Amino acid sequence: MSKLVSSGLSKWFGDLQALADVNLTVEDGEFVALVGPSGCGKTTFLRTVAGLEAADEGAVYLADKKIEGPGRDRGFVFQQDSLLPWRTVMENTVVGLELAGRLDATETARVRKLLELVGLAGFENYHPRQLSGGMRQRVNLARALAIDPKVLLMDEPFSALDAQTREIMQTELQRIWEEGRKTVLFVTHQIDEAVFLADRVLVFARRPGRLLEDIRIDLPRPRNMATKRRPEFVALVDRIWRLIENDVRESVLVEKI
Amino acid sequence: MSGKAQSVVKKQGLAPWQISLLSVTSGLFVWQMISDYVIANPLFLASPLQVVKALMRLIETGELWKHVYTSGIEFFAGYAIAAVIGICVGLLIATSAFAKHWLQPWISGFYATPTVALGPLFILWLGIGVWSKIVIVFLLVVFAVIINTEAGIRSTSERYLEMMRAFGATPRQLFFKVSLPSATPFILAGLKLGIGRGLIGVVVAELFGSRLGLGRLIGASADSFNMPELFAAVSILAASGIAMNSAFAWLEARLVPWTKD
Ligand SMILES: Nc1ncnc2c1ncn2[C@@H]1O[C@H](COP(=O)(O)OP(=O)(O)OP(=O)(O)O)[C@@H](O)[C@H]1O
Ligand SMILES: [Mg+2]
Repeated sequence: MSKLVSSGLSKWFGDLQALADVNLTVEDGEFVALVGPSGCGKTTFLRTVAGLEAADEGAVYLADKKIEGPGRDRGFVFQQDSLLPWRTVMENTVVGLELAGRLDATETARVRKLLELVGLAGFENYHPRQLSGGMRQRVNLARALAIDPKVLLMDEPFSALDAQTREIMQTELQRIWEEGRKTVLFVTHQIDEAVFLADRVLVFARRPGRLLEDIRIDLPRPRNMATKRRPEFVALVDRIWRLIENDVRESVLVEKI
Repeated sequence: MSGKAQSVVKKQGLAPWQISLLSVTSGLFVWQMISDYVIANPLFLASPLQVVKALMRLIETGELWKHVYTSGIEFFAGYAIAAVIGICVGLLIATSAFAKHWLQPWISGFYATPTVALGPLFILWLGIGVWSKIVIVFLLVVFAVIINTEAGIRSTSERYLEMMRAFGATPRQLFFKVSLPSATPFILAGLKLGIGRGLIGVVVAELFGSRLGLGRLIGASADSFNMPELFAAVSILAASGIAMNSAFAWLEARLVPWTKD
């Protein structure tokens, strides 16, 4: 199975400890959200899982294999969509398969289905500049899904979107995830987004960046707009917010200096 | 920006090309008036109508064709060699630190030097035929292409490279699938810059010594105070410069449409 395990993970940038002894396990098919104040190492953690940063201590294991570098068993959805402007939607989506030399008629047909799944049927030949922000993030997601990864790594994928588009994308992501039930690590600043989407919310603290709390979200699925008004939902958001409140204040003040 | 400019144009009820046409026509009209009534001396200034007549005469005698042909060969040969070598060297120094440090002093030096000034030297070495001109055009164009190509590769967005790395791209794939396409607008800009520089090279090199060519025609007309012919030759150079620049604009719109906004 493709369990993800972070064991004793630490990471320094010079004198700054970005991650301190992070231990956690993500089960196969679980949707896990990471929240925490700015600078607590969420991106660093995700990049380490992606193999874009090397661990200083400890390691991350995917399906019992130590992660040593980037690989196509992990799909990254970037905060800024990073779509290549000279490629069409289709060409952008298949880029991972193309790099692996795995692009053939069967795969192309599968990616076409995938674009349908993320709601982009008919836009295959558009260029990124012809798309709205929400559509670009859908391509960003489809590109990661196209390589059929074991784990989907998402770093604040909706933060550049307006509030309405964001709500829609949350519901859409849930729907897409229900189709494949991939393991997801989802970083966000929006606590209600984390609670809405995740099976578990991992709360990080800063200085040094570490795992503070692991909170199970047992709200029934599929969740919808009404879920966000349920008392359990509000109570969870409130509880997480109180966990990081002090840290967030501090980080905002520090950043102002 | 451009949206605002367009709305202003709309209010005047004229298309952009109509405005440009109007501008050129009135410019020609003023020129004609000045040469008819202010400086009515063809030794100093030729009127547009005299220029057209001179042009017709040059076409009829077949003289123009010989000059255009010679200059054309010189320009295109020098330009084509410079484009190929410039792109290759630019790519090389953008990817190899050794090549970069080895070649950089020469490239910076030559780019900053007005190489046309070396024209007499090349004529001495290579004779007054086309080869000395080809070399001068080459030198004027090649460094602009090298510098732009290198800048293009170096300015590749780290975000794109990182994204491709996350998807497991090899260094080779990064180069061909990210750096090269993202450098294309820069390479085209370098080639475009080269057009003007190359045309200057042809004319100046021919003025230094030649038997045929538009530069030679300009020199000869100046010596005999034949202003209409001089202006005729200059007009042809201007027209070919404009034509090549428009061709590049067209090419840019097709090859690198993403840079337009
Ligand atoms: N490449 C780097 N070099 C030096 N320091 C870095 C680097 N990347 C991150 N850091 C530092 O590590 C700490 C954690 O950064 P990280 O980007 O992981 O935080 P984050 O939780 O994702 O923050 P945000 O919520 O603002 O995105 C920060 O203090 C940051 O300044
Ligand atoms: Mg971050």
